[in-house]
Amino acid sequence: MTDAHPANEHHFTLNERMKILSEGTKYDSCNQSAVCHAFGPDGRCIQLYKTLLTNACSGECTYCPNRCGRQSTRTSLTPEEIAKITWSFYRRNAVEGLFLSSGIIGDAERTAEKQLEVAMLLRGQGFTGYIHMRVMPGTPLYLLEEIADYANKFGVNAETTSSVNYSEICPNFDYTSDVLQRMKWTRDLINKKRREIGYGGRIVGANDTQFVVGALDEPDRDIIGTVDKFMVEYELRRPYFMSFDPVPSTPLEDHLASPKWREIRLYQTSYLLKDYGLKAFDFDGVYDDNGFLLDTDPKLLLAMSHPERFPVNVNSASREELLLVPGIGPVSANRILRSRPISSEKELMRMGIVLSRARPYIEINGRRQTSLSSFMGAGA
Amino acid sequence: MSPRMIAFRDNVEGVLLACAGLLQQPDSELLCAKNRDDLRSKMEFSGAGYDVTAVGFRPTADCSVLAQQLLGKRKGRMSGRDPDVERYIGLVLRHSSCDPAGLVRFICSCEGNADMLYSGKTPTGKRYYNYMRDVSRSYHRLSMFARPDLVNGILTVRTDSPHMIGDMFCRWLSGKNPDLPVAVLENGTVWIGNGRYLGLENFTHIRSFLLESLSFSRGPDDIDGLWDVYYDSQMIPGRRNKKHAQHLQPKSSSAISAMSARDRYKVERGISNCTLDSFTD
Repeated sequence: MTDAHPANEHHFTLNERMKILSEGTKYDSCNQSAVCHAFGPDGRCIQLYKTLLTNACSGECTYCPNRCGRQSTRTSLTPEEIAKITWSFYRRNAVEGLFLSSGIIGDAERTAEKQLEVAMLLRGQGFTGYIHMRVMPGTPLYLLEEIADYANKFGVNAETTSSVNYSEICPNFDYTSDVLQRMKWTRDLINKKRREIGYGGRIVGANDTQFVVGALDEPDRDIIGTVDKFMVEYELRRPYFMSFDPVPSTPLEDHLASPKWREIRLYQTSYLLKDYGLKAFDFDGVYDDNGFLLDTDPKLLLAMSHPERFPVNVNSASREELLLVPGIGPVSANRILRSRPISSEKELMRMGIVLSRARPYIEINGRRQTSLSSFMGAGA
Repeated sequence: MSPRMIAFRDNVEGVLLACAGLLQQPDSELLCAKNRDDLRSKMEFSGAGYDVTAVGFRPTADCSVLAQQLLGKRKGRMSGRDPDVERYIGLVLRHSSCDPAGLVRFICSCEGNADMLYSGKTPTGKRYYNYMRDVSRSYHRLSMFARPDLVNGILTVRTDSPHMIGDMFCRWLSGKNPDLPVAVLENGTVWIGNGRYLGLENFTHIRSFLLESLSFSRGPDDIDGLWDVYYDSQMIPGRRNKKHAQHLQPKSSSAISAMSARDRYKVERGISNCTLDSFTD
């Protein structure tokens, strides 16, 4: 599908359309299935065939290259073409499945219908691979229910942290009803499907969403607070962060690009929320004066801002206390608990603990690294 | 009284039964065989004069019960990737350097402690643990980077692993493609999955020269060009991390198939946006 077709207009080949639409999804994160098959020259894993159904979008999101009215090449793939390409890549063991997103074809309902058509076609042909659908804000409940029958994972992007911010970057949709309500429905449908299917059958992925980082001036404190809130309210498991890059001929073309390290630090913080049992308020001492994260490992900053918590005795500390030590993760904390008593650093090293990071914060049988302050205190 | 010998089959059940036998008769010799014919021929060479007990040649034992009786329950895994005892033995047996009799003796030396298999505290334990990891890595490498070709309508892969993992990979690939026959070439043997489409048993193996005579009614599916277009489209130049990409897609792994090799070439050289048009404009 293209916009108005003059008689002599160039018709894109399948290769050309595929290239255009796949490029439209390269910033979307979807690493969820078990096996990575290829790694791009940039080092990112390729697990799924990621594509847009179409890049002709009726939305006016201010940061998006596919926004309505922007001069760019518009094209689409038919459900049959997407199914054919997915099968081909899947058979050749190049991907584990399909990640399908789209520009908005008129409205969210029509778009979801087309996305559903692709999933139904693939499943109807016996496709057992992974299907991840990124649905549009405002997708009706009845279509989400049908998508839940076919897709392994589906969800809507929150993009930002509040209604005010959302209306600024996505003026066609309402944050509360079109996004948050859909996230709630998604949570309920995932729980329902998991009860029906159980863990022996098809994988039912957890609720996920994506944030655009840096399109507005919202501080990291707000983003982390929102992620924490979503984890409680919508059972969000995996937030994705997409660094903002200004796109020419969009209202945000003059904005500065978000630094790449910010995305990394946000991911690190989200893992601390997800796997370490920390809450958003635990990071209050870590942000700068404007509420932004620094370009340092947030766990290290957290440890440095609470010197009273350390050193922890590896032979008597609880799991929660061990998890606060830089260089000790959930797996290595479990290993320490199982392998007590621990008598040397060598044992810790064998368990996979990063000693260079953990050493200042731990104590083994009364022995600990001497710090400058304790040295001066001893001499005083 | 003639000396005793325990003859066991080189599978998980055989190894576990041989361990049980060796613990009861610690002075017994061990003899490993692939099947009954193999056992018979080996017995002709070395079995004379022994009181032989053959175990594992008839599927009778429950491996998980046997493993628990011999090694007890594991307290906890040291690594999230460590398999259970049966799978550990199954993987070690596939290693090209594995001596099954040595494995039986090692398991007996663990004295009922399953964690000894994984701890690597003795040189022998470390060796078998590394064997398990080698085979496991080799299998995962194949699952990631092998790109089957459609030959005569059959999804065909040639493995390059020194370990015997062709059947494992064939089961995995045929599970992913239940509507197509699958052939995995490993040395002189071809493992066939979904063989019902070819008039064979669903999972079987044949000699490699017979593969050419098999065909399934499905046309070739040449997607190499499409994949290249897709692969190139996913690159974000601003995020290029060559070292990381080289680490994740090692040169040795990428030699498994032409498609993976082309991807690896781009990891090394990057993707050029220079076309013939650049010279003519």
